[in-house]
Amino acid sequence: MKSSIFYEKFERHAHGEGLKANSTHYCPGCGHGLAHKYLAEAIDELQIQNRTVLVSPVGCSVFMYYYFDVGNTQAAHGRAPAVALGHKVANPESIVISYQGDGDLASIGLAEIIQAAQLGIPISVIFINNAIYGMTGGQLAPTTLMEQKTSTSPHGRNRIMGQPLRMAEMIAQIDGPMYVERVALFDNKQRNHAKKAIKKGIQLQVEGRGFSFVEVLAECPTHLKMTPQEAEIWVRDKMLPVFPLGVKKDEPREPWFKLNKPNFDPNKLKELVGGTSDKVARFSPGFPHHISPSDISLKLAGSGGDGAQTAAMLITRAGINEGFDATHIPSYGPESRGGTSYADVHVAETEVLSPASPNPNILIAFNAPSLAKFGPHVQNGGTIIYDSSIITAPPIFNHGTIIYGIPFTQIAMDLGKVMVKNIVALGALHAATDIFPKETFLTAIRQALKDKCAMIPINEEAFEWGIRAYNGEYEFPGESVL
Amino acid sequence: MKSRPKPYVFPEYCKGCGRCIDSCPKGCITMGKEVNPLTGLIPIELSLDQCSGCGLCISACPEPFGLRAQETEFEFELTDPKSFNGPRPKPLVKPFAIPGEVIPFAQTESLVTKGTYASAIGALLAGCRHFFGYPITPSTEGAELMAKLLPDLDGVFIQAVSEVATVNMMYGCSGAGLPCMTFTSSPGFSLMLEGISYSIGAELPGVFVNIMRGGPGLGNLGPEQADIKLVCRGLGHGNTHAIVLAPYTPQEMLDLTMLAFELTFKYRNPVIIVGDGYMGQMTGRVNLPKTMIKPGIPEWAVYGDESHRGNLICSIELNEADLERNNIHINNKYRQMTQNEQRADLYHCDDAEIILMACNTPARMAKGAVRELRKQGLKVGLFRPITLWPFPIDLLKPILSHTKQIITVEAGNGQLEDELRMALSHHNLECPSIDHVRRFGGILPQLKEIIEKVISVEEVLA
Ligand code: SF4
Ligand code: SF4
Ligand code: SF4
Repeated sequence: MKSSIFYEKFERHAHGEGLKANSTHYCPGCGHGLAHKYLAEAIDELQIQNRTVLVSPVGCSVFMYYYFDVGNTQAAHGRAPAVALGHKVANPESIVISYQGDGDLASIGLAEIIQAAQLGIPISVIFINNAIYGMTGGQLAPTTLMEQKTSTSPHGRNRIMGQPLRMAEMIAQIDGPMYVERVALFDNKQRNHAKKAIKKGIQLQVEGRGFSFVEVLAECPTHLKMTPQEAEIWVRDKMLPVFPLGVKKDEPREPWFKLNKPNFDPNKLKELVGGTSDKVARFSPGFPHHISPSDISLKLAGSGGDGAQTAAMLITRAGINEGFDATHIPSYGPESRGGTSYADVHVAETEVLSPASPNPNILIAFNAPSLAKFGPHVQNGGTIIYDSSIITAPPIFNHGTIIYGIPFTQIAMDLGKVMVKNIVALGALHAATDIFPKETFLTAIRQALKDKCAMIPINEEAFEWGIRAYNGEYEFPGESVL
Repeated sequence: MKSRPKPYVFPEYCKGCGRCIDSCPKGCITMGKEVNPLTGLIPIELSLDQCSGCGLCISACPEPFGLRAQETEFEFELTDPKSFNGPRPKPLVKPFAIPGEVIPFAQTESLVTKGTYASAIGALLAGCRHFFGYPITPSTEGAELMAKLLPDLDGVFIQAVSEVATVNMMYGCSGAGLPCMTFTSSPGFSLMLEGISYSIGAELPGVFVNIMRGGPGLGNLGPEQADIKLVCRGLGHGNTHAIVLAPYTPQEMLDLTMLAFELTFKYRNPVIIVGDGYMGQMTGRVNLPKTMIKPGIPEWAVYGDESHRGNLICSIELNEADLERNNIHINNKYRQMTQNEQRADLYHCDDAEIILMACNTPARMAKGAVRELRKQGLKVGLFRPITLWPFPIDLLKPILSHTKQIITVEAGNGQLEDELRMALSHHNLECPSIDHVRRFGGILPQLKEIIEKVISVEEVLA
């Protein structure tokens, strides 16, 4: 082999001084060195040196970047597959290799390897299984054999420590990976095979076909407290029965992985974020000081499907269109699922300061609990508008608020679309408070529906009926259809 | 048939493991008898009379410079490996940067959008096309917008298996030199801390938006500011710091996100944006900027191409002196950030005797209080730190001479106040009287209680 993939001089190994410039930090006979060699050969033979990004793990192979003359990233313990994915999607042309030991991959990093396998994005994983923690000094690994003694299983692995984890088999049963194989290093035949498997796994990535996983049964003579020759035999005789060699999955796939170069077209971005250069018309003669001197506080409250949030958004948009400041805070989290939904809105002449509405000037209540909950907190002299088709017996508030019952739901149902009850409410809001001119609301509604133009007429009609109902021009049908 | 190369070995690069011995079908390799004085190990000996050049021994040797094939006849004892290996087929090039661009962005009308959306839009404008995240209320809408828009921009959105995976995907993407970000909220941010420490150690950019919620533990989803300690003093293990930006309007969610991307690349260090839950959820007016960014690829990146092959992303320095040097280098960056990046907004501070200090949404309530109290003739001002770390002490210093009282207003147990006190102490500044309004658990300080506090303090001062 005449590999250029190893650095000529290991400058990063103890500053490249002395013998360390040309020898590894591994113990004599360690399986890592062989896996490195086959990986280097594969990179060389596939002519991908410039494109290769090698992600080294935490464990004995943490210092792979000492040796490999490729782009190198060193990952946190167990996270190499996540780091590898970050590299791969950043540059789909790069060939990303995630190299991990058994503590790293099969213990602390289980979630990351499973997700990477599930995604199936072409990266190549090389998993070194030597049945023990090397770097930290010979502790129990998820792959340690039953009865095997380690420094944290000094009496041998027993049932309470669980059974050895077979990663290749586990990864193979996930749909994402296309090629999974377990190989070994204990004799010439196995080594030859390991070399081919490592190369194949990377080749599949080069061709954009898929995720590969090669598990290598390796020798850790140091912590097995054996000579390298004894360790080879131990792997063959003891590990093989638990970790059978062979192809676990080899599913042909057409090349599929391709990402376009990211788009930086400003017009495209402008369109996507909803930016428009069209001036919005203003209709308001000025800030509605008659409601509050400089900052109007509203609360809209109902249950999940009442459209309180949409109505709140429309008021906010209307306020901003008119050149005022406006904010909207929705209820969020579990409260917003199914149960109550309320929105705090402020419209201020210059700047909204406190965006919450604990004591609103205006309350729009879509159901009885909302009215009961927030009604008492409406400011003295404030306005309450509630859905009189739902709330038949409104509570009496003794604090100088003006209360209007408007049958939002009934009107919306008469219009054939119960969803527009919130727009009925906005019509009533306009009529009852004159917060903004009618055209201001209608403009905001049209803006919001610019991609659903067919919905505009019914919404306009709903708004109109809200006004009429306030003016007493809506006859509640004798028989409620509710 | 061309004769196949036979092996050779430099004794000092042989670890004497003996793996080659059994691999040779011809019995050419034996364990040596003498300890090599340089290595203290016993190298093998080769007697190649029977050697067929099969190469099996080379494949069995774990050392890159152990057993190697002789390509030509030569006296290898006299040759050093450098010249023997011949010219490198792909020599290393010196890494260089691929520059980015500033692109004009057409004037638009104001958007009406919520804080997390504004931040996501800011990220897109700053050139971010890679997003990694894990859903968590109340920050998820930012991720959802990214998931919606990125495919149309040929960007990448990955929902990671956890926040731990998220930060490490970011580590890879940032390591490749590209701008990327995440949205998260307090418990999720806690999970990212190890990765943030690694990013700081490896000098990687990355923008983290933490929409803080009520804690400790699962707490609730309401707005709180109780991660200030974490982002200013607790970014994982080691000597870590990052610039922390605290927006107080949806507009600043956009502006400060764009700034965050600039700063994260400028210093090769993560930048954290913190907002309380309202900051994430609040909808308001947002104006778009006049330019956007098309990022390049920095010189230091591991992009996976020829011009960046020599690079390494790594936070390891085994040698104590090296790691100390690296820490000194990183601390110098912190010093530069402290010198150059302090930001604050001062409202009616010129003649103020009582200074309210608040950030995020509570700063809005505090500003409202200032407005009310000024009407009553009280000399009250608002000092709003925009960078929580570095604390904007240089901007506070000039107004301290006429400040009799500082009142911190926060949704937390004094974490902003601690930053203030630490900054005063580090600068040997006489500490004026400090009082506070604090709420927790998802409740923000209200205008009324701030006003009451100021009036009660004012009575004591008078
Ligand atoms: S401890 Fe084991 S795995 Fe680690 S370098 Fe030594 S032999 Fe290899
Ligand atoms: S090349 Fe083959 S025959 Fe020659 S020493 Fe090596 S293993 Fe033996
Ligand atoms: S395999 Fe390599 S390191 Fe081991 S004894 Fe043989 S030449 Fe030496």
